[in-house]
Amino acid sequence: MMKSLFLFDMTFWLYLAALVLYIGYLFARRPAMTLAPAGHLPENFDERDGAWATQLGQVATLVTVFGWMLNTGALFTRAFERMQHSGTFAPWSNQFEAMAYVSWAIILGYVLLEMRYKIKAVGAFVVGIGFIAMGAASLLPYRYQTAEPLVPALNSYWIYIHVSVTLTSYAAFAMAGGLGVMYLFKERAERLGKTTGFYAAFPDLETIDELGYKAITVGFPLLAFGIILGAMWANYAWGGYWSWDPKETWSLIVWLIYGAYIHARMTRGWEGHKAAIYAVFGFLMVIFCFWGVNFLLSGLHAYA
Amino acid sequence: MNSQPDAIPKEPSIRPSTPGLGWDEFSKELVEFFASVKLAIFLFLFIAMTATIGTVIQQGERAEVYVQEYGENAYRWFLRLGFTDVYHTWWFTSLLGLLCVNSLTCFYKRFPSVWRSMKQDKVGVTMAFIKNMKQQAEIPLDNTKESVAQQLVHHFVSKGYRVLAKNEPGEVTVYATKGVMGRVGAHMAHLSATVIIFGGLLGTYYGFQEFGVCLEGQTYHIPRGNFDLKVDKFWIDYHENGSVKSYNSTLTVVDGGQSVVTKTISVNDPLVYKGIWFYQSSYGDAWDQVEVARVNIKDKETDKVLKTVDLEWQKEQTLPDLNLKLSITDFVADFAFNSTEKKVYSKTIEHTNPAVKLVINERDAVQATPWLFQQFPDLFNIKESKYQFELVGYKPRKFTGLQIAKNPGINIVWTGCTMIVVGITLSSFIFHRRLWAKIVPGQSGVIVHIGGTTHKSQIDFQKEFRKLTDKIQTFKA
Ligand code: HEM
Repeated sequence: MMKSLFLFDMTFWLYLAALVLYIGYLFARRPAMTLAPAGHLPENFDERDGAWATQLGQVATLVTVFGWMLNTGALFTRAFERMQHSGTFAPWSNQFEAMAYVSWAIILGYVLLEMRYKIKAVGAFVVGIGFIAMGAASLLPYRYQTAEPLVPALNSYWIYIHVSVTLTSYAAFAMAGGLGVMYLFKERAERLGKTTGFYAAFPDLETIDELGYKAITVGFPLLAFGIILGAMWANYAWGGYWSWDPKETWSLIVWLIYGAYIHARMTRGWEGHKAAIYAVFGFLMVIFCFWGVNFLLSGLHAYA
Repeated sequence: MNSQPDAIPKEPSIRPSTPGLGWDEFSKELVEFFASVKLAIFLFLFIAMTATIGTVIQQGERAEVYVQEYGENAYRWFLRLGFTDVYHTWWFTSLLGLLCVNSLTCFYKRFPSVWRSMKQDKVGVTMAFIKNMKQQAEIPLDNTKESVAQQLVHHFVSKGYRVLAKNEPGEVTVYATKGVMGRVGAHMAHLSATVIIFGGLLGTYYGFQEFGVCLEGQTYHIPRGNFDLKVDKFWIDYHENGSVKSYNSTLTVVDGGQSVVTKTISVNDPLVYKGIWFYQSSYGDAWDQVEVARVNIKDKETDKVLKTVDLEWQKEQTLPDLNLKLSITDFVADFAFNSTEKKVYSKTIEHTNPAVKLVINERDAVQATPWLFQQFPDLFNIKESKYQFELVGYKPRKFTGLQIAKNPGINIVWTGCTMIVVGITLSSFIFHRRLWAKIVPGQSGVIVHIGGTTHKSQIDFQKEFRKLTDKIQTFKA
């Protein structure tokens, strides 16, 4: 067995542990009793935890960071293994590696978000998606998990940048999807009047909404760049930059869907509830573009 | 909009009190329609929806394929709606055209105000305007108007804001703005769609894409470039485990009778000469040539194999012991005979019924040119000959499939692509912020009324605003 597979497995278990800890953290949270300092707006997402919750939250973050480091190590090990097998090292050259890379990017995104906005409650949703991505990768049959040499069409420097950029945009959309789900949960809780316990740890609706929008505005240019890099590669390898191959068409469809979202946000009524549902829908489309197209439709990209 | 898009309160838009029918009204309505974000959202989603069709229904197949899979009735509808080639139907291209018109009109209508706010801005606003903003605060300070204003301006400048201030008898107004590039970026993206589509059209009308099947050692004329291309060699490299590593062709460009460039191309490494690109696209076994053919020579009486010879393509081989001279002059991969023209040809390019034409010269007396079939060894019998000939194997010559393309629009497309990526990136990461502060005399010292707006990224702005108010409270006299 390859060393990288062991590391990927370890990553999987650590992400699972992190997810459980984040959920535990949500349950342990005391209702937030925020008092606005004089002259300030109330800091809605300022967290005042009970001792229990604080510790759980800290452990959750630590485990996540550690899992992410292992994930990084696994990708590097895989890159090294690829180097020995075939002249390229991009550790995102088949479906399995791509999934492992996406979960790496999601978790990295989450850690950055937590560092910047100090909101741990998001972890239960976003780390959850990272965990699912990693888990789905581990469920692939063994023959999909190995580092077979690339077919000549893919054996190119373009794969480093085109694939990694596109996958990173998927990670951003995954984050937005997770935040969308979170928004809907919180909204439901508010409607039912539950403001204590589990939901107390959630940041307020407006913050979740803004964060989700931000994630999409990160994913949107990345996806555009990824698609264009793909077009440049196609032009270099096949003599046409656009051939309406199912994969490229679907990534364009996904991009258009988010393009509509970005413009819709500028019109009234497209924030909050609708935007959250739309973000979840967009993420489902991303999943289809990533998985569905490879398995259901034929084309140049069906290399899994 | 997330908040007030334009912070300057507008006069109620002046509309004609009676609906006019003149050109002015009409063109205004037209611009309004084509510049509307609603139309943009509709187009984005409608194009996305219709683009799925071509990923589900195979494109550009033969009629039988559709009839078999979907039935005749459905196929008739497919033809009517253009579903067998969705991306080139008039209605799909019109949608793309409409998107261009839409984004250009948006640019036309909105960019001027962005441009103006880059150049100059209104400083003077009313107190009510500041108090109405989403982010606003009132900070009493024990200080003088001038000192606070100076420190505020200094602070804004150190944060990279552009600042304008107005000192009036009763109050000082400070205006600060930053990040207008984000909006310029959005408009850059709006222009890019048209640039890309224009480049694409240029490529379609003035470019070409052809596929050439080329044999080793042959020279081909490229009429569109008015030069010749010689295929020196074709070969395949393998990995240790036997899978293919790369397909390679060595090509030489011969221009004006002289060899100009020689390059080995492979799948991700084309040759470019005079704007024409040569790509390694496919390869295969030639259907009308072989490198060598292996022939058994049998004695007719004993039916024993006397000799096995490997005959090279179109090279006569002498066998003195059998008193024979043999050569292979023709090959077909899938034998067929055209009875009107009396010609042998290959029905397909598959090697389903291979045959070689053998030229026999026996004792300088018997001359024959039979076709030998690999699958039917007993078909031909040369009466006068002592021997029976059988084709037992052959090594086909490989052809290399070259994609030959020229696209004069490509650099325009890349320019548009750069614009779209740079534009969206700017607009995603830079957000336009505007802040107004009025410093008025208070009970002891002054009161700073400050308010600010951004067109997006509210939480970052909220944080920034909070820091700003904290900072103002530390202003010393
Ligand atoms: C063709 C592809 C298009 C792309 C890539 C694109 C991209 C963008 C981006 C990235 C923004 C910034 C969004 C934000 O600030 O949150 C934007 C803003 C905007 N877009 Fe588009 N857009 C496109 C087409 C259109 C079309 C067809 C319209 C038609 C009305 C439109 C109308 C607008 C408007 C009104 C804004 C706000 C501009 C401003 O802040 O001054 N866009 N667009």
